[in-house]
Amino acid sequence: MIVATCCIAILGFIAYNKPPLYHSQSYVFGTLVDISIYGEPEDRAKYLSNEIIQDFQHLHHQLHAWKPASGNQISEIGTLNLAFASQRKPLNISPLMVEILQDATKLSKKSHGLFNPTIGHLIGTWGFQADEFAATSIDNQKIAALIKANPTMDDIVIANNTAYSTNSSVKLDLGGYAKGYALDRAVRYLRKQHVKHALINIGGNIIALGQHGDKPWRVGIQHPRKPSAIATLDLLDGWAIGTSGDYQRYFMLDGKRYCHIIDPRTGYPVDHTQAVTVLIPPQAPHHSQAGVLSDVASKPIFIEPAENKSKIADAMGIKYLMVINQSSQVFVTQEMQNKLTWLNQDFKKRAHVQPTTQH
Amino acid sequence: MFNLLRNIKAKTRIMLTGDWLIVIASSVLVIFLFQHLWSHEHATTVQIRLGDTVYGTYSLNQQRDIHVKGTLGNATISIINGKARFSQSPCHNQYCVHQGWLSRSGQAAICLPNQLSLELIGETKHYDSLNY
Repeated sequence: MIVATCCIAILGFIAYNKPPLYHSQSYVFGTLVDISIYGEPEDRAKYLSNEIIQDFQHLHHQLHAWKPASGNQISEIGTLNLAFASQRKPLNISPLMVEILQDATKLSKKSHGLFNPTIGHLIGTWGFQADEFAATSIDNQKIAALIKANPTMDDIVIANNTAYSTNSSVKLDLGGYAKGYALDRAVRYLRKQHVKHALINIGGNIIALGQHGDKPWRVGIQHPRKPSAIATLDLLDGWAIGTSGDYQRYFMLDGKRYCHIIDPRTGYPVDHTQAVTVLIPPQAPHHSQAGVLSDVASKPIFIEPAENKSKIADAMGIKYLMVINQSSQVFVTQEMQNKLTWLNQDFKKRAHVQPTTQH
Repeated sequence: MFNLLRNIKAKTRIMLTGDWLIVIASSVLVIFLFQHLWSHEHATTVQIRLGDTVYGTYSLNQQRDIHVKGTLGNATISIINGKARFSQSPCHNQYCVHQGWLSRSGQAAICLPNQLSLELIGETKHYDSLNY
């Protein structure tokens, strides 16, 4: 009896002394930013998460593709896009922009041009460059003209902290890159501040630092058609996860769904895939980092039709992959299957495990 | 104590097959009910967040409409019998309303234009954050 009472007292004391989990939510990048910090005093956690949010807002203003930064002041990307459209004179750009453009160019090449952040005009034509977009009438002629103009990252010439474009149809839209880049920056900042455990979620893209107490951080993967998770997985230190889906930004027109992911080869939204989830292990320094890859790598895989998906995944260096096609069939690589805990039994039964392509 | 054990031993010796079946069946029933009703993910409360602050946490065990003024305008969140949903929203695409009823802990609906979010909270949480 005495022993039992002591045990309960000790357990109670441990529970009481448990370092608190600090959790904050805010809206940046036109989406929800969710920061969890574990094991830091609440004041410090609050301070750190505010610093991260401020940095995100700063980044957002610098990188936003269609909104003026503040009042009438245009964002750095906006200025760059104006210059690209009108002249071939080199424009001074910030070191941050040099780093981003060089990295994005590398990734665009790796994806055989399917990750193409220069198709801002196309995205605008489809009406997705607005917070509150509506179903647009589809301008087939304009789309054809924009495809013919063929803007690519290779058209952008970067030298001595300046940039210009050899193709006036280049319009940068870093919508598929900025959130991932922000994740990497936040993790770098937290490590510098000696924070051991944190989980950062920007609009569904998540990166982990350390773990949640004595267990790894656990994330749920959203059902593409229902408000629930289909599976969970443990996100280990330095790992990131990202999903491209047709359910986040889309509009319906005459009963057909038009999602925000546009095939840069055709100019039309992709209609064969519901969701592509990639899980990214920590990357070596001086390479594209896990956050960026979690944002970028899912897009080319989403765009390619079923028969080419594993090939492009290979080209992007993706091993942990889940694809849900338009008939809700699930394909996972063996590596991914080993990581997943299914919550949805229908999906579990329908999941096809596919070996990754071997060389 | 020992008497009790000896007693159980004596009693089990004279138990018939039917008795054992009843013991087994009831054990299975208890385990099933325990898993189904006890350790389950049925949510107990809904947390409404407006921007970066918690607007309020409400019990799901009631029937009620909550009106919240978001950054865009007035939205209505309905609670009925352990479920909650956005039932009306001023946003253009109405994704939040189309999400429908949420009933399990961890489920969430977000209205980005209006900066409002719902999250169901229960005894257990399946995950720390959602990838979407």
